[in-house]
Amino acid sequence: MNLSGFVIRNAFRNRRRLLLSVSSVAASLFLLITLQVALRELTNPINDEGSSLRIIVRSKVSLAQPLPARQMPILERIPGVVAVSPFTFFGGLYKGDEKFTSFAQFAVDPARTLPLISDAKLPRAQYEAWLADRTSCIVGQMTVDRYGLKIGDRMPFTGQLYPCDLDLKIAGIYHGTADDRNVMFHQKYLDELQGNPGMVGTWWVLAASAADVPFVTDRINKAFANSSAEVRAESERAFVLGFVSMWANIKTLIGGISIVVVFALLLVTVSTMSMAIRERFRELAILKALGFRRRELFAFILAESFGLAMGGAVLGAGGAWVLFRSINIQNLTNGLFLMFEVTPQMLGLAFSVAVLLGVLAALAPMWTVARTSVVQGLKTLD
Amino acid sequence: MALPIRYSLRNALVRWRSTIATVLGIALVVFVFVLLQSLAAGIERSSGNTGDPRNLMVVRKGSTAESASLISRATLQEIRYFPEIARHEAGDPIISADVLALVNLPRRNNGGEANVLLRGVTPRGRELRPQVHLVAGRWFEPGKREVVVSAKLARRFANFDIGESFKSGNATLTVVGWLAGGGSAFDSECWLDADECRSIFERDMYSSFLIRPVDAAAGAKLIARIEADRRFKLKVEKEVEYYRKQTMTAAPIKWLGGFLAVTMSIGAVFAAMNTMYAAVGARTREIGTLRVLGYRRRFVVVALLVEGAFLALLGGVLGCVLAFHWNGYTTATMGFETFSEIVFEFRVTPGLIAKGLIFAVVVGLIGTALPAIRASRLPVIAALKSL
Repeated sequence: MNLSGFVIRNAFRNRRRLLLSVSSVAASLFLLITLQVALRELTNPINDEGSSLRIIVRSKVSLAQPLPARQMPILERIPGVVAVSPFTFFGGLYKGDEKFTSFAQFAVDPARTLPLISDAKLPRAQYEAWLADRTSCIVGQMTVDRYGLKIGDRMPFTGQLYPCDLDLKIAGIYHGTADDRNVMFHQKYLDELQGNPGMVGTWWVLAASAADVPFVTDRINKAFANSSAEVRAESERAFVLGFVSMWANIKTLIGGISIVVVFALLLVTVSTMSMAIRERFRELAILKALGFRRRELFAFILAESFGLAMGGAVLGAGGAWVLFRSINIQNLTNGLFLMFEVTPQMLGLAFSVAVLLGVLAALAPMWTVARTSVVQGLKTLD
Repeated sequence: MALPIRYSLRNALVRWRSTIATVLGIALVVFVFVLLQSLAAGIERSSGNTGDPRNLMVVRKGSTAESASLISRATLQEIRYFPEIARHEAGDPIISADVLALVNLPRRNNGGEANVLLRGVTPRGRELRPQVHLVAGRWFEPGKREVVVSAKLARRFANFDIGESFKSGNATLTVVGWLAGGGSAFDSECWLDADECRSIFERDMYSSFLIRPVDAAAGAKLIARIEADRRFKLKVEKEVEYYRKQTMTAAPIKWLGGFLAVTMSIGAVFAAMNTMYAAVGARTREIGTLRVLGYRRRFVVVALLVEGAFLALLGGVLGCVLAFHWNGYTTATMGFETFSEIVFEFRVTPGLIAKGLIFAVVVGLIGTALPAIRASRLPVIAALKSL
């Protein structure tokens, strides 16, 4: 029997313990991954191709303060600006939803908005149908799937932020953006319902190139400085990071819990490993007596501990990866989480933790084995 | 006490090294569970603790939150002189038309920015909310661009010390006082004069009305009267009811807490099983001896279960103590309804502690059940012979 065979046999000697230990490591690593995924989801700045060129312009007061529609021609004249469209968050309640609708509805200018959502794949004919009908909308594929919608269906929304209700007809279905859930409809329709107040929520601006973005944002901010509606223009990434900052202490909390989980995991595995080694103290002493070197004994212990941790990692992290790929997290959490994607970095983290765990768990038994003489070891009854 | 139980308890304490990991593991599970639930409890308590039971809150039908509601000034004139509304000595009705605005402000120490809820409030509005009182400085003067900020927010946001000022819209607001809402949702608000608020943020409309009806019967009548009038499209409910429902933010935290508790406890059950199997293995001979002494199988099972439950309880107590350390600690996050920073405290309630302890004991019992049954099934002779 070679050495690896010996280690494997040893590990499988107490199958129940092996199973339990691997499972507890797996459960903890699964949890670690889940927390990381949730944290990423909450704090993730979107990263699609279009986002690097998009600039979001909101009122300097806050996102909730509307902007005057008369800003549009001024924005369009700013050098470096390729396209401008209003993006007004309607925040309505979709028919049948009780308290909370998990997708956004934006009032936009369909004639101008296409370059701004260049990543959205929308058939030409559907786009034209949308353009032609003032009360029509386009809907993201995810929402269509979730509610079982099709072109021509009506989507009624109860206004929560706006004192009016929408009755939209689906003209097109798009996919390919970072968030294929949203509904986009005509700003004109919203204006009419409200009696043309001449206000929009935000402006989305497309810069000519990524290098232009800082200059364009700066020019936009300056253009409206000291006006009745000062604005804050920022890159889409900065805008999303602004949201992240609002989560405040919750972020820290989830990070803290991750650490507690890792620590608990360490505790359990270390104790299991010591248990396994203590149980065969006599055998190790016999091996020593047979002439195995300390180094080789260390290798046995390390290999077993390492294997155990890795088994847990494969099961836990791999399980999380498979699970989150196969379930529809959007339906499960009522739209709170959208992607729930396990990234390679997270798998890397989980496996690093497992490696660390394997080594740390082996340290204590190794120390004991090193300290004990053959005679002492053989005398042990336990 | 029966011998097996005494034996088990002493055993648990004697083999401290091999059990301490289990205890700590369970402690951490309970800690995370209680901590997250206490966070949700804090949010719920802060909204459940808000409002005066006599007051009625009026918002636009369809708005889930006051800050998203809009009511025209004409509506105020219509409703104002309804006879169901109580009157002040001077004869004017006790109704406050408030204006809410969200402003984006920097945190202290360059901690990024967040939204703060500004409430433009009338003198009546202050009377209607006796929970709110001044803790430092003075109240704003009507007609001046002065603001009284929540003391709890003041610790989190830049320029919120008394005498400092911040710019929003085209106005500069000077902080003249700090308010405290007694653990209510008002602890996450800043108050200023209603008319100034309307002019700064160019609001034609009001956000909400707060009304004091003559009595409860008049209140019920008023609710029916306003809601039935199709011109208004308004929703009227008791102020306390309105706030009690503003707990959407707590839902995902609760969900996360439950999810973590379940997953972590699976890990903890495995760990506890491991420890108990090892304990049973190491004590095979002793268990055999007990059986020879005449103790029945079920005694052995009970004794081991008690041991497991005791260890888990120990862990549970430790976890609760750890979590209790955070009780009353103020924290904040973005409220889903208001879209602004809400301040609240961790609330480790007796109910939560009880839940945590029960949870721990259940984990311990599940973890011990299989090893205990195995121990009781050992043939006596074999057990005695084993090394």
